[in-house]
Amino acid sequence: MTAIWWWLQRITGAALVVLLIMHFWVEHFVSENLRRGDLTYDAIRARITNPAWQAIDIAFLLIALVHGLSGARNILLDYSRIGRRGARFATAGLVVIGAVWAWWGIAAFRNL
Amino acid sequence: MKDLIRKYGGPFSGMVAHLIQRVTGLLLLFYLFLHVRTIYALREGPAAFDQAVGAFNGVLFKLLEIALLGAVILHALNGIRITILDLGLGQDRQRRLFWAWSIGVGALIFLAGAIPLFLASVLRR
Repeated sequence: MTAIWWWLQRITGAALVVLLIMHFWVEHFVSENLRRGDLTYDAIRARITNPAWQAIDIAFLLIALVHGLSGARNILLDYSRIGRRGARFATAGLVVIGAVWAWWGIAAFRNL
Repeated sequence: MKDLIRKYGGPFSGMVAHLIQRVTGLLLLFYLFLHVRTIYALREGPAAFDQAVGAFNGVLFKLLEIALLGAVILHALNGIRITILDLGLGQDRQRRLFWAWSIGVGALIFLAGAIPLFLASVLRR
């Protein structure tokens, strides 16, 4: 079980490198306006109404959450002595946090 | 400074790399929280969203954004280094990999990204 999470951390990490390069390019570098940081509603809308971009961005968020929360779990278990029951409790808590966080991010696109 | 480099540059490189990975990881997770919070304003229409994003238009936030790029690059390159070591490759060179790859190559990529951002968002505004 632990080995699966260990591999998942590497695989999601590799995916995030690719997704982040794309994200930075599209949102921060591709035009002078974006380099200046003028990210507007209309600019995002023009891109995000494309369902392919929505799928990419939602997948990006989910992968980042798995990677980030699983990393936070590693740190928590390394520096605390909460035992096996405590670890299961912490895992369940992080899964709930992740689910709420994912819903929060996905719901942001609903009215576009 | 010289003593510090001697102390942490040698036998402690792995520990420094490990700590950097954890601290930048937690910072990036916290940033993701702020990021989703801002993006959520998309639901309230153009005026509310542009105002929410506009709150981060000051020079201080632009500099923090460039620092964020540095944290991402450090975490990503060091993560690649950890994966390479975990696969059993280059374990006898992990210290040199840290300095040459995570720090050296990282600094070059950081400058390539930070300079255009700095010129556009801090100097020419």
